[in-house]
Amino acid sequence: MGARSQRVHSAIFRLLLRLYPSAFRAAYGDEMTSYFLSRLARARGRGRLSASREWLRGLLDVARTALAERRSVRRWESGGGSALTSLLQDIGYAARRLGRTPLFALFAVSILALGIGLNAAVFGVVDALLLRPAPFADASSIVHVYQDSDDGEPSSTSFPTYREMAQLNEVFAGVAANTQSGAALETGDGSRQVAVEYATASYLPVLGLRPHLGRWFDAAHDHVGSELVAVVSHRTWRTQFGGDPDMVGRTVRLNNQSVTVIGVGPTEFNGEAGSLLTDFWLSISSTPVGGPYQVANLDREEDHWYLVKARLAPGVGLGAAQAAMDALALRRAELFPELNRGRAITVFAHDAVRFHPAFDGPLRLAGVGLFTVSGLVLLLACANLANLLLVRGLARRPELAVRLALGAGRGRVARLLLVEALLLSVTGAVAGVALGAWSLRFFPALPLPIPGGGLDVGFDHRMVVFGAVLALLTGTLFGALPALRVTRGNVADSLRDEGRGATGGRGVRLLRGGLVAVQVTVSMVLVVAAGLLARGLSNTERVSPGFDADRLAVVATNLGQAGITDALESDVVAAQILERAATLPGVESVALTTRLPVSGGGSTTQVVDGYEPVAGTGAVELDFAAVSAGYFETVGIPLKAGRTFSAEDRAGGPRVVIVNETAARLFWGGDAIGGRLRAQSVPDGWREVIGVVGDARVSSLGEAPTPFIYYAAAQSAPAAFNIVVRSAGDPAALIAPLRAAVREVRPTLPIVRATTLEAHLGDALAGPRLGAALMGSFSLLALLLAGLGIYAVVAHSVEQRRRELGIRCALGAARPRLIATVVGHTLLVVAFGAATGLLLAAFATRGLEGMFYGVGALDPLAFGGAALLLLATGGAAALIPARRAAAADPVDVLRDS
Amino acid sequence: MTSEPLKPAVLHILLALAEGELHGLGIADWVEETTGGAVELGPGTLYRSLKEMAADGLIREARAPARESDPRRKYYAITAAGRRRVTAEAARLARLVEVARSRRLLPERA
Repeated sequence: MGARSQRVHSAIFRLLLRLYPSAFRAAYGDEMTSYFLSRLARARGRGRLSASREWLRGLLDVARTALAERRSVRRWESGGGSALTSLLQDIGYAARRLGRTPLFALFAVSILALGIGLNAAVFGVVDALLLRPAPFADASSIVHVYQDSDDGEPSSTSFPTYREMAQLNEVFAGVAANTQSGAALETGDGSRQVAVEYATASYLPVLGLRPHLGRWFDAAHDHVGSELVAVVSHRTWRTQFGGDPDMVGRTVRLNNQSVTVIGVGPTEFNGEAGSLLTDFWLSISSTPVGGPYQVANLDREEDHWYLVKARLAPGVGLGAAQAAMDALALRRAELFPELNRGRAITVFAHDAVRFHPAFDGPLRLAGVGLFTVSGLVLLLACANLANLLLVRGLARRPELAVRLALGAGRGRVARLLLVEALLLSVTGAVAGVALGAWSLRFFPALPLPIPGGGLDVGFDHRMVVFGAVLALLTGTLFGALPALRVTRGNVADSLRDEGRGATGGRGVRLLRGGLVAVQVTVSMVLVVAAGLLARGLSNTERVSPGFDADRLAVVATNLGQAGITDALESDVVAAQILERAATLPGVESVALTTRLPVSGGGSTTQVVDGYEPVAGTGAVELDFAAVSAGYFETVGIPLKAGRTFSAEDRAGGPRVVIVNETAARLFWGGDAIGGRLRAQSVPDGWREVIGVVGDARVSSLGEAPTPFIYYAAAQSAPAAFNIVVRSAGDPAALIAPLRAAVREVRPTLPIVRATTLEAHLGDALAGPRLGAALMGSFSLLALLLAGLGIYAVVAHSVEQRRRELGIRCALGAARPRLIATVVGHTLLVVAFGAATGLLLAAFATRGLEGMFYGVGALDPLAFGGAALLLLATGGAAALIPARRAAAADPVDVLRDS
Repeated sequence: MTSEPLKPAVLHILLALAEGELHGLGIADWVEETTGGAVELGPGTLYRSLKEMAADGLIREARAPARESDPRRKYYAITAAGRRRVTAEAARLARLVEVARSRRLLPERA
């Protein structure tokens, strides 16, 4: 053992020795230290593990004997002693007391672990989404800049406008733009979808970050025509490339093109806000990886694809930056009046934005909602434990009274009870944080509405701090009430009461009733919320999607990712795939669409001939799909008027469009055939409406009817699409042959998705199902806790009233009547709590109307059902102990007392 | 004279000192050696036991032998009371062993 490490070990051990009383330390400290060090040296000779074991053994040995020594030196009733001695004694005493009732201790710790675990997990997610600060250097001088969308909301910026911003060096020290996308990464056995971000060379410098390895893009990479380069994110480098030290200089194949990795990203930043995961950053010179449109987009003022962040020049404030952007917006409007009239550019301070002004609000709301629910469950657990500790405290009143009579300070006795509560809460928190951290491992598998590649959640020190805070908070919360209650009151009374068993008096009874009422109230709110969610879900599940999902299979591919960029070639490849799919055995019909019903997708800004939108730029934002001939027939969307696409609708022919019923009603009063619309950016690109089809759900099953338009695929040469087939039998059996058919046409084509439409609709419901399942299990937990709380209270109170009940019984009172008295009293408390809960729930859900599909916020089934459920739980919980008490032989009871 | 069983640490320390005077580390080494490492006395257990045993009169502090270089090392010796106590304990254990034999839990002596 080196002299230096010997000194360190010696110092730590001596620190540990402070646990002993000073007299013992003075007498034996030196010898104990040299004894421990000599043993440690021997253990270290046997290896690190052995040394750690020696340390652990020494630690436990010292802790145990120090406690024993301190106890033997002074009994705690004497009141004196150092703060440490008495605290250690309190902890030891509390631990032994809890050890004597292991079932209670286990129950309390389990409840707390569940409650705190739930909150820790929620904290982990909310922290990553909303709280954890982005790891940017000097973030206060970073601003976010957004061009308005067509609806006049801050949205995203066109690349030409970004270039203008980048010129404004008197306002900005640096301006950066990035846009998120996906790509197919070639792996040994096929390809994998990865999250990529195209970013300017200024991106990392503006954020004040440096790559971990290699280098970031430089100015030469800001122009198309230079080499294709990527920076792999640190996390992806570690998890997908095994932290390969030779990563820089390696070539990866993205979308069928070779890209050189020139760097590994910063350790602390793996994507937007540090929380959303990106796999690769690609330079602007690498936009060809995303296909010709990714490149063309760089010069299109009408496409708003980029997020802009800037660093303010020294001395420039937010106001000056906003003024410069106002001026820029005017210049852009002069240059492109049709596109930019009235389109503002807004500057946001860094701390005003998390991901994007449009997402942040709903995200915060979801975070607050999650925390409210998990906090309520924890509150419930606390009320429950407060109740149990109160019962324990009451049972101990005689003992505590003796201590008080012998001169122990009231504060000391209260502290003893508090220490017991804190010991429980700290143990519960340790288990809870472990549980929470463990449960976060399943987080990436959950279907969550998060943009980008995923969320960077995991266990970190912030969760530990959060757990510690919760432990103190909950321990104090459920420990303080009983501690105050039990130690109050007259010592003589308590001693006199001892023979009859303390009932705790009217005040305590009220308090306990109140705690039960609180539990019932909280459970009520949770059960109502679960009921509303479940009702909404079952309504959504019964919604007709507007098409016939039965016997449909789908395989999606992306021609751009395979390097097919020519429109003619795209058409040929698409036709070949369709042809091949149609000949597969068991296929009844086959069609192509760029967007499936009930899924996300792009929108287009359209001008509708003869329709003046209420506000805005005279244009409307419409969701769209490009579909092949036979699409409506294949998926079973009914034709309402006109005709569907045919082989006649091809590139170069008259431009045509089909609209859904909602669009027809909204824009043409129902009679849409012959109507015209065009993309706002193409003044002479009018398309004529040739057909009206039924409404299929556009983005989600629970949505309101949404206008939707269909282009002819032959007239728009889509680069990415779904092949949908109607099968004669089980559609799942067609998935593998379909995959193969796509690959046979071009082996490089990536399979982006392969599933049945039934499964696709199931995925669309996964979010609501997850919400309902979570809420359902929370409310079940709440019910269980409330039931246990009621049971404990009633059991205790009938135990106290055994004598009274026995006498009544002996005097001839009928047992059912006795039971009814006890249960009725409990139900009164439950009813009070339930009524409060109903009011609270009605108040809370009023703001959420419309979130539960087809369910009014005051849904009688959810509210009435919850009330019945709670009354039933309360009645059952009260009935069990009441029956037991009433069943006792009155002779026994009276003899006992 | 109490016949309450001795705590393992106390018994082993008395056994160690029955041979002669030793200091703390010496006691621990002897115990570990004779029990084949099965009994390891932690620092707190060892010194707290020594303190209590001295208080109970089972052992006393002894003068360090001339060869001892470290003046801080305390040596301990067994007292007459300690010897009686460990003898009684050994006898009790021996009786236990006989009982175990009679129940055929241990092999007969060769």
